Amino acid sequence: MAEINVENLKVVYRGVILALQGVSMRAGSGEAIALLGPNGAGKSTLVRAISGLLSQYDGRVLDGKIIINGQETNQLPALKVAALGLTAILEGRPIFRYLTVIENLRAAAHKRSPQRQKEITDEIFTRFPRIYERRFEQGGYLSGGEQQMLLLGMALLTEPRILVVDEPSLGLSPKLTEEVMRVLDELRRDKGLTLVLVEQNARAAFSIVERVYVMEQGRVVFEGTAQEAQADADVMEFYLGGAVAGGFSEAKRYRRRKRWV
Amino acid sequence: MDFALVLQTILNGLANGALYAVMAAGFVLVYRATSVTNFAIAEFLLIGAYLTYTLSLFFPLLAAIFLALPLAFGFGVLVERGFVRPLLGRNVVAVIMATIGLAATLDGTALLLWGPDQKAMGAANIAQLPKEMPNLAFNVGGVFLSSKAVWSLILALPLAILLVMMLKYSRYGVLLRAVSESETAALAMGINAPRVVAAAWGISAMMAAIGGAFLAGAAGGGGPGHHLVLLGLIVFPVAILGGFDSVPGAVVAGLLIGLIEAFSQLYLESVLPGITQAIPFLIVLLVLMFRPYGLFGQHRIERV
Repeated sequence: MAEINVENLKVVYRGVILALQGVSMRAGSGEAIALLGPNGAGKSTLVRAISGLLSQYDGRVLDGKIIINGQETNQLPALKVAALGLTAILEGRPIFRYLTVIENLRAAAHKRSPQRQKEITDEIFTRFPRIYERRFEQGGYLSGGEQQMLLLGMALLTEPRILVVDEPSLGLSPKLTEEVMRVLDELRRDKGLTLVLVEQNARAAFSIVERVYVMEQGRVVFEGTAQEAQADADVMEFYLGGAVAGGFSEAKRYRRRKRWV
Repeated sequence: MDFALVLQTILNGLANGALYAVMAAGFVLVYRATSVTNFAIAEFLLIGAYLTYTLSLFFPLLAAIFLALPLAFGFGVLVERGFVRPLLGRNVVAVIMATIGLAATLDGTALLLWGPDQKAMGAANIAQLPKEMPNLAFNVGGVFLSSKAVWSLILALPLAILLVMMLKYSRYGVLLRAVSESETAALAMGINAPRVVAAAWGISAMMAAIGGAFLAGAAGGGGPGHHLVLLGLIVFPVAILGGFDSVPGAVVAGLLIGLIEAFSQLYLESVLPGITQAIPFLIVLLVLMFRPYGLFGQHRIERV
């Protein structure tokens, strides 16, 4: 079993900023879902809440439930959540920049036996030859795409059953984004992972997920399959800019008009 | 130039420098792990020295030094858990003031537990003959080294190098460097960051205990007392010269300051009395003017 259920979740930062206002979502075992939405929609807050990392950001769950593999995790610290088989790749490509590629992998693999660590590392180097070539360089000097690959490798070394990835396409070229999505999809299918993908790039997300949640100002405003989302005129216009043709200011006006809430 | 005298000065400088290196490396380790400047480091030396002293009343001195290490580790962990952890993430000035408060608290506690008088290792009162470690002093070809210097070279110097190697190559070292970069990212990867950080404080306290025991005369020359708090201030110039966030830097800077002090003692002290005590701080002033990141301070990686 590797599933997440979030029920009516309310999250507050510093006791006053209500970032999630009753979000419910579900990712079944082996399923891939996407959380879409603009900046400030609450996607990353939901990731932090699911991963048990809210306290790191001075946030806390005000109400509602997070259930991972049948266990309520609202009050569990990040380490206990990780022990349930959930690994989160947070936004901003949080590799350890001053550690070499090898050291980054070693840090992620700290719970694995040397034998298992070697097996998985070999697999990572086979999947990502570029990471192998740059294995003795500090992570901070890798390109954005390489850092993303390294993070996926690090996540693999934790042997997760649920993988949560926050904005993997951020700052990447369309070609690299496509490559990252292909690798994510491949990993998900090979390892039977449950995948929660947070994205602003809806087109990229649609290519690998089965279901979609659209968030706006701390609420879920659309829920459906990837096909339903792509057939929904509002979602498509909002995220793929079909009706926007007048530059940035018009796009902003358009986005304001199209708010659901 | 008297070759034997120069060699003797170098060895003495390295011996003293090794002690500085050990203490400063522990101090920097804590800074790396938590970004907290431990202004109570001199009091850590004091507590470490008093722990060694107390054990030396019951055990041979060498055994007391080693037995004090786990106690010092526990003390460091206790300070981190009870005092530092609740403050992490707070305003920097608040944390600085808190560690200064910790220093005063530890000072007072030491005074309460061990009294104001200077002690002698292994002796219930100062009038008794103090215990000393086996005498390893030697005089070969005109090069004389005191027992304290030899013990420092064979205990403190390897310990400092061991700490550097551990940080670079061991699993714990990798995890500590990871946590020091981003505790949140480390937690997301399932790394037990609080435990890693607590261990850093424990190791720092162990290093301080070794340094404190030596400065307090475990290998001859005085005994534990509150004068150690002043001696412990040497950690700050050493750490700053090394780059403040670099453990290898702290080790190199410790040895360097030890050498400079030894040569200053040899050549300048007769001309400028008291210069030896001032010279580490003068060096720091110069370094801060020309190399604000010290000798080995970490260069920020920025992608352009």
